[in-house]
Order: sequence, then structure tokens, then C-alpha cells
Amino acid sequence: MGRLVLICRLAARDLRRRPGEAVLLLLAIVAATTTLTLGLLLHGVTSHPYDTTRAQTAGPDVVANVTPLPSGQPADLAALRALTRVHGVSKYSGPYPFVQAVARRDGHEAAVQVEGRDSAPAAVDRPKVTEGSWVRGGGIVVERSFADAFDLHTGDLVTLNGRSFRVVGLAVTAAMSPYPATFCLTPCGLGTLPPPKGAPPPLDPEAHPGLIWMTPADLGSLGSQPSAMSYILNLKLADPAAAPAFANDHSSASFSAPSLEAWQGLSRDDANLVRNEQRALLTGSLLLSLLALASIGVLVGGRMADQIRRVGLLKAVGGTPRLIAAVLLAEYMALALIAAALGLAIGWVAAPLLTSPGAGLIGSAGSARITTSTVEVVVAVALAVAAVATFVPALRASRTSTVLALADSARPPRRMHWLIVVSARLPVPLMLGLRVAARRPRRTALCVLSVAITVTGIIAVLAAHVQLSAQQVVGSSGLSNPRADRLNQVLLVITVMLIALAAVNAVFITWATVLDARHSSALERALGATPHEVSAGLSAAQVLPALAGAILGIPGGILLFNAVSPTRSAHVPPGWIVAVLVATPVVIALLTAIPARLGARRPVAEILQAELA
Amino acid sequence: MPEAVAAPSREPSHGYQLRVVQEVLLALLAKEPSHGYQLRARLQLALGPLAEVLNAGHVYVTLNRLEKAGLVTSERVGQADRPDRKVYELTAAGRERVMDWLADTSWPKPAPAEFHLKLVAAAAAGLGDPVRIVDAQRHELLEGLGAVQRAALAEPEGSVAGLLLEGVVLRLQADLRWLEACAQHWTSKKGR
Amino acid sequence: MMQAINSQVHGGPVVRTRGLEKHFGQGPGLVRALDGVDLEVARGETVAVMGPSGCGKSTLLHLLGGLERPSAGEVWLEGRRIDRLSERSLARLRRHAVGFVFQAFHLMEELTAVENVELPALLAGRSPRAARRRAMELLDQVGLTDRAEHLPSALSGGERQRVAIARALSNEPLVVFADEPTGNLDSGATRDVLRLLDRLRAGGQTLVIVTHDSRIAATADRLVSMRDGVFVEETKLTHGTSRHLGELAGLEG
Repeated sequence: MGRLVLICRLAARDLRRRPGEAVLLLLAIVAATTTLTLGLLLHGVTSHPYDTTRAQTAGPDVVANVTPLPSGQPADLAALRALTRVHGVSKYSGPYPFVQAVARRDGHEAAVQVEGRDSAPAAVDRPKVTEGSWVRGGGIVVERSFADAFDLHTGDLVTLNGRSFRVVGLAVTAAMSPYPATFCLTPCGLGTLPPPKGAPPPLDPEAHPGLIWMTPADLGSLGSQPSAMSYILNLKLADPAAAPAFANDHSSASFSAPSLEAWQGLSRDDANLVRNEQRALLTGSLLLSLLALASIGVLVGGRMADQIRRVGLLKAVGGTPRLIAAVLLAEYMALALIAAALGLAIGWVAAPLLTSPGAGLIGSAGSARITTSTVEVVVAVALAVAAVATFVPALRASRTSTVLALADSARPPRRMHWLIVVSARLPVPLMLGLRVAARRPRRTALCVLSVAITVTGIIAVLAAHVQLSAQQVVGSSGLSNPRADRLNQVLLVITVMLIALAAVNAVFITWATVLDARHSSALERALGATPHEVSAGLSAAQVLPALAGAILGIPGGILLFNAVSPTRSAHVPPGWIVAVLVATPVVIALLTAIPARLGARRPVAEILQAELA
Repeated sequence: MPEAVAAPSREPSHGYQLRVVQEVLLALLAKEPSHGYQLRARLQLALGPLAEVLNAGHVYVTLNRLEKAGLVTSERVGQADRPDRKVYELTAAGRERVMDWLADTSWPKPAPAEFHLKLVAAAAAGLGDPVRIVDAQRHELLEGLGAVQRAALAEPEGSVAGLLLEGVVLRLQADLRWLEACAQHWTSKKGR
Repeated sequence: MMQAINSQVHGGPVVRTRGLEKHFGQGPGLVRALDGVDLEVARGETVAVMGPSGCGKSTLLHLLGGLERPSAGEVWLEGRRIDRLSERSLARLRRHAVGFVFQAFHLMEELTAVENVELPALLAGRSPRAARRRAMELLDQVGLTDRAEHLPSALSGGERQRVAIARALSNEPLVVFADEPTGNLDSGATRDVLRLLDRLRAGGQTLVIVTHDSRIAATADRLVSMRDGVFVEETKLTHGTSRHLGELAGLEG
């Protein structure tokens, strides 16, 4: 027990000695855990959003609708009503009338489907009002995701087929997929067939109509003939699981017969909506975890050198190299746990931003639940990241003999013969830079890795963006696709986090390099290298690996994108690829310029004298 | 030996002498009987450049003395076309004397006392600046050190004479270190 | 035999300082490392600076070589005033005018001996081949040709210092500054370095050596003693053979 207390005390003291590094490490792991939390929360939301919506809105098991025929024959309401008496049906609501209309507001117009509803709550399918109130005379309720796309809020005025209505509320329903995945209930896509008499022209098959509820009286004022109306019926079955079979049994190919949709199909459609976001978040979280690993690798590498030197001293007071390893492990585990907690907290707070208004998913609305499994996964990942990063150095520390530990040669610079020979032919700054990089190949490799991961992420995001832009505009309405918007936001956030973490990595690696190379930098200046050449060299030691990382990251990003969305093949315009290839070394050069300059300006004599101590 | 009252002579007019030359010659005879000139040659080899300053005739004088003391015996050996040479041989008493000498661990005395008193006297009587005296002595020793060092560097690697010169160099170094300390002390005393 | 330095237009002293001062800290904690030093070193001269530790000898060397800036006073290297030069010009100057030898050798641990020696030439912009050739020549002159491909960790202290001396000569400097060159060496290695410095001196190289080893000092043309940041004594040494050699050896006169 005493040993455990000792380890904890040493770990705490060590963390306090170097608060900057601890914070850096924390940030790295927090970035990874936050995105992971968001991804998992979204997963939690997406796996049961439809179920939640269904439960809260008394969603139907089967949705049946009839439409008027192209020949002008009105919808077969009787056939629809007959369904309510079928064996297995426990409850129903409707039939409700349905027309299509054109909504106009602020110069934008969009196709909509309008459903006539009483103000009294129905037995099946009670759309849940998330803003404002339910329909009343002159007041319409708009489906939430469509309202988001059309920028509608409670109190706004909308013109439908020339008549002005006021939006009194927004709601979600389980009887229809949220915009823009809505399907046409009214005749649409009937191609070259002429529309029935008195019916408005059919909607464009590519159109995704929004959903609006209003009183039947208001519906009648929209100008559609009663014979041209469609009707919708919501059914609840005794056995909800039998809904697909029910829909199958009672469907028929004829135009006049009701067409049925089981709730399982709607659920699937729903889930697909956020699947992309979820995928993006989880992939982003993976990339950030890897990046966190890289930055921890650098931090730990630097700390280990320092720690190994203390091993010899601690052995004198009864400590062993294994104790040091245990202390380091304890430190990083503690940091990982704190990071996991922070990641969970930030993720929980930020989740509504992703799943909130416009999502059409009721699971959001502030009710993102953190389940125990989420906590377990996040904590496990955080601990794993910390453990993997410290494993190798900890192992090395536990096996270091005291003699080696006390001698400064515990971490002598490596020698790469071919690199030294090659560098002699290059201009002085490049020569110095290559040699600096060659002294610590592991750190150089981590630099390459760090940039490669970031560029992989950026390229994958660019590919996704290209693909999204194609889907950006929904049909002919000119409205943006809120799903695509959301995904773009998610991708942007992930990109920003990747770049931020990579930038911090770059600065930190440069600092570590500058400190490590201060003796040889001072010596080179004593032998005739100008401070400019030395600082350029220190910068080059980061920029060259960054370029290599960028080159690696481009195919990596394309591969990643193809892996994550196999149905699409990545296409990134070559101009953007060139831009990334050029921008990466430039950015790294800018980031490393200041530490490099500072490192090259310290008085030479001071450094050389200090080495005698 | 110079008399206690006579001023120490600075000009070596008769060449240098080795104080323990008796014991050295006895030791050189321990291996096998030798001619006088052979002994001198071996001595020269051991002393290297310093052999030049050694008094040439001293060796034969000492051999005679040793014979009289019964520590060596000599024999005349006739040679065809040269005057007869003496061959010297070690006696039992001589061998004992050599063994005693080899086992003796007394070290040549260091002599800082004389110089030290010189400085004290100069300061007390106000006859001279001790620091100046130290500096002058340092100059001398440095010149000497330089010369010995050059001779030492000229010796081939591993030469036995080189070892002797190294010994001189290190002694001089030690003396110079002491002189440095003297200079510091007497400077700070002046400063008060 | 070391190459004599080609005579240049400037015939005056190679190194000159006037009123050199260096302070560290301030107020009650002010340390006067150098407190007004005047020095002139002629071409081809070997000057030894001796003194107890903390007297400022190393600081003097750093200032002369442009590794530090003086607090006051002037430093002239071959007629050019260097105490006001920018870091960049100083670095350029160091390439051609100055060679340094340090007590701690300060070799790059990951470069072989020949790579260490060729480094100043590479920094000065010479072609890799020319730099390598010169480096091998210098290593030959210090007697370490067979050690050219060894890392410093595989060399003894004396060998490392000889590599450092070869490195200092890489760009044919006007003056070589040596800071306690035998401070970390045993007597055998010291002998090797002494021999080398003597040959340099005989070849006409200007040397300024800071040392507390009187053996080094004995090889100099001029010996300057320092104490508390100022010069206190100066001696010229002849290089004759001593008449008192026998006396020094313990032979009696």
C-alpha cells in the first residue's frame, strides 16, 4: 500500500513540475475523447431515434395512402377505410386529406405536401410540437427539418398557393421521414402522364417536398378540388413486428389501391440520415486518437530521457527503474482519466448542437443520454492511448541499468551514415537541418506521421465536401440540404481539431528539437554558421518531414474516404491537392520559425560552458 | 660539498656529480663484470641528454674508491693492440650494499624552506618585494621547464631517458604551482 | 611541418584589444569577469594566459573570438573591429579568421573524426570533396589518419583533442584560440598535444592559449598572468637550452 501511495505522490509531483506538458497531453487526448463521445452519442441517438420519435408521437406501424388516378378518378377512400377493419389493426387515425402546394417566402419557393389535421390530438401519429403550438385556423405547423432548411420559425408568414398563413409551430413525426428524405404521397413523378383534372401539376420526381399541417378548412382554401385530394391513414397493429408482412399482404400493384409503408422501412431511412455524420465523427475520432498518440509519443520520448537520468539518483534512495516506469504510467493514466472525463463532458454538452433543431429527430432535444457503455468505451480508449504511448519507453526505463542511466549516453544521438554523406552536398541550412533530423529518427518519424494523419484527414474531408456539394442543393427548390449542412459542420469541426492538434504537435516537436540540438547548434555557430543558417536548419528539420507526411497523406486520405463510404469513389480536384501539398510545408515553416529563431540566438559561449557542468 | 658559509656557486665549472654514483655503479656491476668504459656508456644511456653534463672523470675516481673500500675487485686484462683495461667485479659486500640501496625508500629531499625564508626575510627587512622575487624565480623555472620539455619531446617514445625528463618536468610543474600560490599570498598581503 | 600563414597586406598585430571589460549580473550581484584588459598579439606569436580559476581567462578568449560581446572596450582582429559586428558577420568572420579548441573538445558525437574536421570547411561553402581532402590532410598532420572513420566515443581524450585541433585548422585561421586544451587530459595525451602545439608554433601559427598548466605556458613566446579580471604580469620566454639542466635533474653542481 505504501508503495502505491509513493507512486501516486511521485506522479503528482512530476505532473506539477511540468504543467505545460501535462496540459498539452491532456488537450491531445481530450480532442480524441470528445470526438469519440460525440460519435458514440450520435450512435446512441441514431440507433434509436426513430424508436424514440415513434414512442413519443404514437407513431403508426403502417402508413397507407391513396391518390387520385391520372385518369381523373378520385382517390379510393373506401378502400383506405376498409383497411381499418382488417384483422390485426388495433388503432387508427385518419384518413387525413393531403394536397401538394408551393410554398413561397422571401423570394424562395419550395414544394410542400400539406396534411389536413384537427386541432384535437389523434389516436395514432400525434406529431410532437417542439416549438409553438399545434394547428388552428389560419395557423400552420411545419415539419422541423423542413422548417430548418426553409428558415422558418414560429410567427413567420408563408404563402401557400398564393394564400398567406402564419407558422404557429414546428413539429416532428414518425409517419414520414424528415426532410429531405420525404417521399411523395401526392402524385409525383408520373412522368409524361397528364395530371388529373383539377389537380395541381405533379411534383418533380427529384423534388423532396416539405411537410406542413393545417386545419382541413385551411386545406380546402388551398384551391385543390376535393376529387383531386389524396388521403393518408395511420394504422397501429396488434403486433408491430408484423407490419412488413401486413404491408405486403395488403398492397397491390394497381394505382388505385392504397400503398402501404411499414414503420421498419421508415426507421431504416431515418437511420441512414445520420449515418454519415456518425461515420464522419467516428473516423475523425480515430484520426484524432492516432494524432494524440503521435504527440504523446513525442512528449513521452522527451520526458523519458529526462526520467532515465533520474533513475540512477532514485535508486540510491531505494527506488528502482521499475518504480520510475510505474510512476510515469501512473501519471499518464491519471491524465487519460481526466481527459476521458473532460471528453465525455464536452461531448455531452456539444451533442445537442449536432442533433438539435433541423434534425427532425426527437432523440435530441437535450436528451442525449450517456450510457455506461459510452463511458466504458471512452475511458478504455483514453487509457489505451496513454498505455500504448508509454509502453515502450516504460519498458526501456525498467530495463535500464543504473550505470547507463547515470551516464549521459543514455540517449546518444543516432548516426545515419548515408544521410550525413548526402547532406554534405546540400546548401548549409539543408545540411544542418537534415543532420538535426537524423540525430533523432524516432522524433522525425513521429513528425512525418503527425502530418500524414492530418493531411489524410484533410483530403478525406475535401473528398466528402466535394461529394456533399453535389448533394447540396435539393432538387429545384434551391434550398440547402440540412443534412449536408450538418455534415459539413461536423467535417469542419474535425478538420479544425486535426489541424490545431497537428500545429501544436509541430511547435512542440520543434521546441524539443531546439532544446535537444542546442549544443550542436552552438557549436556550429562557433565554427562559422550564421544564426540564420542554424534557425533555417532547425526549421528544415521539421519542414522536410512535413512534406514527406503530406505526400503520404494524400493517397491515405483517398483510401480512407473510400474505406468509409465504399459506395462513393473519392474525387478531389488536383488543384486542391497541389494546394494542400504546398500549404503544409509553408504552414509548418511558419509555425516553427519562432522557436527555431529563438533557439539560434542564445549566446554561444553560455551553452558551450554549460556543457562542461 | 660547498661549505655552509660559502655562497652557493651558480657556475658549474667542473660539471655535475651524481650523489649516489657509488651505488649506481655497484648496481650496474651486479649483472656481470664490466670495463670502466662500458659502465660509463650504460650510465649515459640511462641519463640521455643529461649525461653530457656529467663529469667524465668521476666514474673512474669512484671505481677506485669502491675498490679501496672492498666493494669491487679489479683485474687487468691484456689486449692485443691497446693498453690494458681494468675489468671490475662486484664482491659479496658490494652486492649487499646494492641490495640495501635498492630496498631503501628514502626520497630526495624537497627544498622549499630556503626559498620560503628568502621571501619572508625580504618582506620583513623591506629589502625587496617578495612578489618580484617570486616572479623572477618563476621566469627561471619556466625557462628551465621549457628546455627540459623540449628535450623530453625529442626523445623517442618509450625511451628510458624520456622517463627521467618527465620526472623533471613534473617536479618543476609542482614547484611552479607552489610559486603561483606564493605569488597569490604575497600579493594579497601587499594589498592590505 | 605546418604551413606558415601567408603574409597579408595588414602587417600589424593579429589580435588587439583595448580596455576590454565584461560584466555579469548587476547591482550587488555584479561580477566583473574582465576589468580593463589591453592585449596585443603579433603574427606568429604564441601567447599563454595563465591564472587561477575564475580570473576571467576563458571569458577573455570568448571575447577575442567573437563568441561573446564585451560590456565595454574594443576588440580588433587583423585591423577589423569585431565587438560591434552582427552575429551574422561574426559567424562569417569565425569561419576564416578564428579556430577554437575547447577544454571539453566539443566534437559532434554522431560524426566521425574526418566528418568533424571537415565541418568548418563545409560551413564555409567549400565543395564536399575539397573539404574532405583538406580534412584528411589535417588528420595526417596530427597523426590520426587511421582513426579518421572512428566516432569520438571510440577515441581517447588525447585523440579527441587532436581531432579538435585539426578541426580548428580547417579553414587556415589567422589565430587559434585554445581554452585549457589539456585540462581534461592525462600526461600522455598532454604530451601529444604539447608536441602538436609546438609544431604549430614553429610553423608560424598565431596562438592564444589559456591554461593553468605550466607545461603549456613554457612553450609560449609570451606569458601573461591574470588575476581578478586584469593582467598582473607579463614575461617573455626565450627558447634556449637551459644551462642548469643538470641541477634541475637533481645532479649536484
